Amino acid sequence: MTQRAAQPDGAAVFDRAAVRAHRDRAAAGFAGRGDFLVREVGERLVGRLDDVKRRFDRVLDLGCHSGQLGPMLRRQTAPDLLIEADLSPAMVACATSPARLVADEEWLPIRADSLDLVVSALSLHWVNDLPGALVQIRQALRPDGLLLAAMLGGETLFELREAFLQAEAGQEGGARPHVSPFPDVQTLGALLQRTGFALPVVDSDRITVTYESAEALMHDLRAMGEANAASGRARHFARRATFRAAADRYRETFGGADGRIPATFQVLYLTGWRPHESQQQPARRGSGTLGLTQVLSPRER
Amino acid sequence: MGEERATVDPKLLEILVCPLTKEPLRYDAERQELISDKAKLAFPIRDGIPIMLPDEARPLEEGEAR
Repeated sequence: MTQRAAQPDGAAVFDRAAVRAHRDRAAAGFAGRGDFLVREVGERLVGRLDDVKRRFDRVLDLGCHSGQLGPMLRRQTAPDLLIEADLSPAMVACATSPARLVADEEWLPIRADSLDLVVSALSLHWVNDLPGALVQIRQALRPDGLLLAAMLGGETLFELREAFLQAEAGQEGGARPHVSPFPDVQTLGALLQRTGFALPVVDSDRITVTYESAEALMHDLRAMGEANAASGRARHFARRATFRAAADRYRETFGGADGRIPATFQVLYLTGWRPHESQQQPARRGSGTLGLTQVLSPRER
Repeated sequence: MGEERATVDPKLLEILVCPLTKEPLRYDAERQELISDKAKLAFPIRDGIPIMLPDEARPLEEGEAR
């Protein structure tokens, strides 16, 4: 498509075709085998609606995987319309809402001012043009509509990253990225503000999962559809010797007394509202009654 | 499924737009397509699920756009 010219292939951080392929491949066995993190994060995400005193009639689950959040959202807000959307047709086929679609977060096909709530659990970290995706979400929301999203952050799989770095330093002519680049709290907070969300909040949470071995972790990542899809990744599997060296480094550096290894997932939660006059506003410029000198040096009054 | 064709949820149809132009779409029930005249693309509907990916859309033939 020529429309993608704004973002030449060479500059894209993520290989979107690979993201989709990984999800397509994981879809059939996703429920039960690969969905524990999405379910956990989904519960935490949807639980945040407990504090919000309003109804959400039209809801979009963007990056719905095979429909993990659907029942949670129905229980929480009983929406009039729940749309489940994912980049992977195989995932969407497993979801159960009557309103489903295959959509790319970078090309949101939703009319402006039409949604009350957009929820997204563990999908936005695979988007190349995150500012563009956020702007499109903001536009699709009605005034006072809410975005509630969770994405993986920069500390995710730091153990795996470090183990491979150590193992590859002396092999295969240098290290290749085996773990995707992820954003951090500060960047995302600024981004929400810049893309026009009111009352933006970003916070971080860590979920540590222990595994029997590095092989078991890699196997799980594939079942989750979260295998590396960075454009700069090595296109072939690591050499057996390299992988074994990395697995050894992993256990030596991070392994517990019980012989298991921990894997950290950093989850960043994003909250932002489509601006509306009913929301708390900063005071109008020039409306202050105290001089700045009084505030900064109270003792000299 | 079988003989009975899955249909798109009407409430969903109401708020779907072309992912490229954000303009309304024309629903072709016969061909099971959502047509964006401006982008000259037809987005397929498979088993009642609109596939709104620009890469998977069918380019409109000459004179097909309204």
